[in-house]
Amino acid sequence: MNSDDSVIEMPPIELADASSSAMSRRDFLKIVGAGTAGLVIAQVVCVQVDAAPSAQADIAKPKGMVIGDPTRCTGCRRCEIACTSFNDGKNQPSLARIKVARNLNFGPDGAQYGYQRQTPGHFGNFLIVQETCRQCAHPVPCMMACPNGAIEVTGPVNARIVNTTKCTGCRQCQAACPWDMTVFDEQLKKASKCHLCNGEPECVKACPNAAIRFVPWQDRSKDIPKRWVVPAYLATPPNVSSTCGSCHK
Amino acid sequence: MAPLGGYRGKILRIDLSTGKVSSEDTAKYKDFLGGTGLGYKILWDEVKPGTKAFDPENRIIFGVGPLTGSGAPLSGRVSITSLWPNHLNELPATGHMGGHWGAELKFAGWDSIIVQGKADKPVWIYINDDKVEIRDARHLWGNGIFRATEEICNEVGSDTQVAAIGQAGENLVRIACVMCNRSHSAGGVGGVLGSKNLKAIGIRGTGAVAIAADKKAWKDLTYEFLSLIGANNQGVVPRTPQPWAEYYGNTRWTARKGLYWGSAKPAVETGECSADDLNRIGYRTQKGVLDHGEGVGEKYLVRMGGCHSCPVRCHAYTEIPALETKYGVSRFQGNTCTGNSFGSGFFSSPSGSEARIEASQLGSALADDYGLWSDYGQFPRDFVYGYKSGLFKAKLDPKEYDSIPWKLLDNNDPAFLLDVMKRIAFRTGELGKAFADGMPRLEQKWPEIAAYHQTYDSSCWKDAHAKHHSSEAGAQVGALLNMMYNRDVQCHTHTNFMGSGLPFNLMKEISGELFGSPDALDSSTQYTPMNKGKAVFTKMSLIYLELHNSLTACNWTLPLWTSPRKDRKYRGDVALESKVLSAVTGEKISREELEATGLRILNLFRALTARFMNEKDLRNKHDLANEWVYEYPKDKPAFAAGVTKMDRADMELAKDMFYAEMGWDKATGMPTQQTLEKYGLKQVAEGLKQQGLLV
Ligand code: SF4
Ligand code: SF4
Ligand code: SF4
Repeated sequence: MNSDDSVIEMPPIELADASSSAMSRRDFLKIVGAGTAGLVIAQVVCVQVDAAPSAQADIAKPKGMVIGDPTRCTGCRRCEIACTSFNDGKNQPSLARIKVARNLNFGPDGAQYGYQRQTPGHFGNFLIVQETCRQCAHPVPCMMACPNGAIEVTGPVNARIVNTTKCTGCRQCQAACPWDMTVFDEQLKKASKCHLCNGEPECVKACPNAAIRFVPWQDRSKDIPKRWVVPAYLATPPNVSSTCGSCHK
Repeated sequence: MAPLGGYRGKILRIDLSTGKVSSEDTAKYKDFLGGTGLGYKILWDEVKPGTKAFDPENRIIFGVGPLTGSGAPLSGRVSITSLWPNHLNELPATGHMGGHWGAELKFAGWDSIIVQGKADKPVWIYINDDKVEIRDARHLWGNGIFRATEEICNEVGSDTQVAAIGQAGENLVRIACVMCNRSHSAGGVGGVLGSKNLKAIGIRGTGAVAIAADKKAWKDLTYEFLSLIGANNQGVVPRTPQPWAEYYGNTRWTARKGLYWGSAKPAVETGECSADDLNRIGYRTQKGVLDHGEGVGEKYLVRMGGCHSCPVRCHAYTEIPALETKYGVSRFQGNTCTGNSFGSGFFSSPSGSEARIEASQLGSALADDYGLWSDYGQFPRDFVYGYKSGLFKAKLDPKEYDSIPWKLLDNNDPAFLLDVMKRIAFRTGELGKAFADGMPRLEQKWPEIAAYHQTYDSSCWKDAHAKHHSSEAGAQVGALLNMMYNRDVQCHTHTNFMGSGLPFNLMKEISGELFGSPDALDSSTQYTPMNKGKAVFTKMSLIYLELHNSLTACNWTLPLWTSPRKDRKYRGDVALESKVLSAVTGEKISREELEATGLRILNLFRALTARFMNEKDLRNKHDLANEWVYEYPKDKPAFAAGVTKMDRADMELAKDMFYAEMGWDKATGMPTQQTLEKYGLKQVAEGLKQQGLLV
């Protein structure tokens, strides 16, 4: 079975007010047409070996994703603040699932090329690149890398979410994400990643510059990765990778 | 201490003489919150009267507080307290820095840093969570702030937040600053770092600032807070009529349809920004058009920016290609307010002209790299006066005088800055040294400058310090405030309230509620004699200034005593700071209790000033104003319509009434023993007594 078979056709999107990024979850679900009876997505689970529930070739597509617009970002980091303060009860940028701080001063390239160049960052051309989770399509690198099947596709918007009861804190998902978007809570010893806040992203609500938006999902797994890592299907632990053959003949 | 929300529990102490790094319990200092309050307490406990700013025994306290890094809106600031190099007697004062450095310090696990001693060679301090190292900075010494920042980030990680000094600080220039995030500076204290051979402090923090309140309650309070914010300086109505707005007024809320961030690629419209749209707070203040003028201030603005956690965004960042081609600096520059008028302050090019914005941003390119501070504009003003009056020509050796490209200055050519900024930062020649030693010493060197400072044109308040929202801002209120400190007075409590832009009658009503009398507030064109309401207003202004600088919270927009919310009849929330602090720490503190803490900090500062002056008659030796305050304009009496002239007898009454409000002795303006004890400063009273300063 080809994973593309499960693609949900999204109706064309018309955002009532494109300038306002604070869309409520209800509005959003209305727009993508989900939550209606006919659109329940079947999760076809691959043949399981050693019970690795994350090896799902036909996992449901996400219904939304958060994207950033660097030309609007002013680097206030209220998005990072909202992500952890309102989800975790503490303010901790290292735990934020949207990443601004690491690009703030010198952009994604870092300080290696000097300063005041025409490259992003506060010491460059002032562009501040917000990085967000792509809620990847199969093969979902973080999900595939998890030996415990702890990253699951969870409603209402089918975000790829860490199930903390299954997470053992092995950090394999952190190593696997090509964009370095999974995080680790050192206090709880659990991984975390963007869960789209049940369809009401706190970061989007918090942005004073409407510089991040919650939009219908699109496959952005082709974007240049922050860091090159071994492709997920090779880095996958054996109990997961042994299931790949059931689809990839 | 038991970890409360907000605090991380420990303070970092670094002795550069011995290389010793140690950690202290924050609980010891909790009565002073943090920030500037902590700074005053350390100076009181540890620095002997008679110590000078550049002595190794002087301390420099990088103070953050329970709110810094908590994610509470407007909590990104740092108070850097030390003996002030740019005061003749080097009395205590605080420089204030925004940016992301203070929050990073909290994430790294520290509630402030105390630096003492002097390293035997240039060093920088690397704080990587609880690992703290003193690293070699010999390769950085002699270089500017931009290079120091870049090299440190290259060495330890691009996500490091770096506060550094430039050559001005290294060369013990008394008007040097320390800077982070390229445009956030704490004026005045750069030389103290230089005197300790300390180039920079770089921080990487991965930890959490805990919030004691439950998530839902904290989120609700945060959004309530955000709904009360207006624009920068808490203008709560737009500057131009807007379809959604009942009022408009003279505020920094410049956003409107058709006004852009013109050099964003592609341009971004600021748009209507109605008061209830919290996702557009960051567009309300398009400050380019205020700092640089309409036209160029729109055309060259890439975006706004500002401190960690703040939605207001008051720094204006520009892209001006001519900076590269004409002057050889980066086309990307930016700063705010006096940071933006530093360079242009040397010239008479009109606002809105290309020459002026070029001068402004070239000034920023140079000053923010050399780490030079404008002394709130006093440096360029005094410099231009010295040139135009012929003073420099008369005093300087002709060889030196002729080596300076005065023609450029005559022609309003920004290229003059390439000479003057470097000259001061490197103490070149007699002129370079004269200005590098700061305006109080310039007054001593050339009495003509002292005479100039007595005139209105100098904008100089006292002690060679610039006026800063003084008698023109609330008459006696601004005047009293400008008498209190040992630098230009960084108080915006009163201006943030008065500058709301709301109709005068409504403001009178709100004044009545806040200060017990509508008469606390004068119309800006008709001042009235002193009254009790004004004394209360002054006291409240000082309390919240000290609280903001201790919590830390931004006194450039707070307090939110008015709001853009029509449903609240434009009232803000006077108890906001106490609510936020209670939620973050989990310790219930009422507005009254918090204000008492503010008074504790303020009384400690007052005692500290007396101690370092070795003088108890603050009334007549400290709380002063230059001649022009009482004399300008010559042809009109005080309280005439449209003038800001103060009356001497009335100002003496103002002191009487204000001191009475504060519990300070009428004759000397000293906090009485009773007042000190009331605010838990018994030990301070004893210290004053030993020095013969207790009244
Ligand atoms: S909240 Fe918005 S403006 Fe602020 S850092 Fe995040 S994306 Fe940028
Ligand atoms: S691999 Fe990275 S970007 Fe993709 S879903 Fe996982 S965390 Fe998000
Ligand atoms: S959607 Fe939620 S979890 Fe994801 S980055 Fe935004 S606030 Fe964090």
